[in-house]
Amino acid sequence: MLILQRKTGESVTIGEDITVTVLGVDGARARLAISAPKDVLILRSELITAAAANQDAANEETTPLELLEMIAGHTPAVPPAQPFEQNRMKGKEDSTS
Amino acid sequence: MKLQTKYFGQIDYGQEDILTFPAGLFGFEEEHEFLLLPFEGSAGTLLCFQSVSTPALAFTAMNPFALMPEYAPELQTQELHSLGVESSHDLAYYVLCVVKKPVADSTVNLKCPVAVNPDTRQAQQVILDTDDYEMRHPLAQFGDGGTREASAC
Repeated sequence: MLILQRKTGESVTIGEDITVTVLGVDGARARLAISAPKDVLILRSELITAAAANQDAANEETTPLELLEMIAGHTPAVPPAQPFEQNRMKGKEDSTS
Repeated sequence: MKLQTKYFGQIDYGQEDILTFPAGLFGFEEEHEFLLLPFEGSAGTLLCFQSVSTPALAFTAMNPFALMPEYAPELQTQELHSLGVESSHDLAYYVLCVVKKPVADSTVNLKCPVAVNPDTRQAQQVILDTDDYEMRHPLAQFGDGGTREASAC
């Protein structure tokens, strides 16, 4: 693996027609500009791992009902609420602020 | 309308029951409509995103706050914008579950929750910009770890 240091405004060229330019660095975050032909697929790498996780989620190895049995023992018995209400963060922000 | 579902047989649903995913789910970008169906007896903890267009496609989902009360997803401004809300607190969250055999090996994706705007029923799966949450968090770790005290409501 090639490791390079680049300053803001500097770039690297990959092959004949792909250029990656560092637009800026803010703390742990780098802003990159990528110039490449239209047929080159550019993805944030975590999208690929996220898609793989979804693929596995779509192909369950056993029935979710087994999961139901497993969680029934240790999840708090929440009374049925309005749909979506129990899926909100606690300490809801004051909307007037 | 009637729909053959993966886990619930044939069900009746209306247009108003549909959750719309303009961008689909990661890896399932062409799936834009799902029904959110709770498994009976789970008190809303275990649910299922059933695809409207593909009967055989369903994702098992859980309420992340039942697993981890301190769960605090923070969306990026553009994500909030496309969901039509101003704050991450305006949304409901579900995490997708990989159901393994044995079932104790199952994992949940805390890093990529499905965020739902309850008012518009528009939904989007996001990748949280944090290292606090994993894509494959073992469900067993939430179990009898003893972190949860008997809660008085």
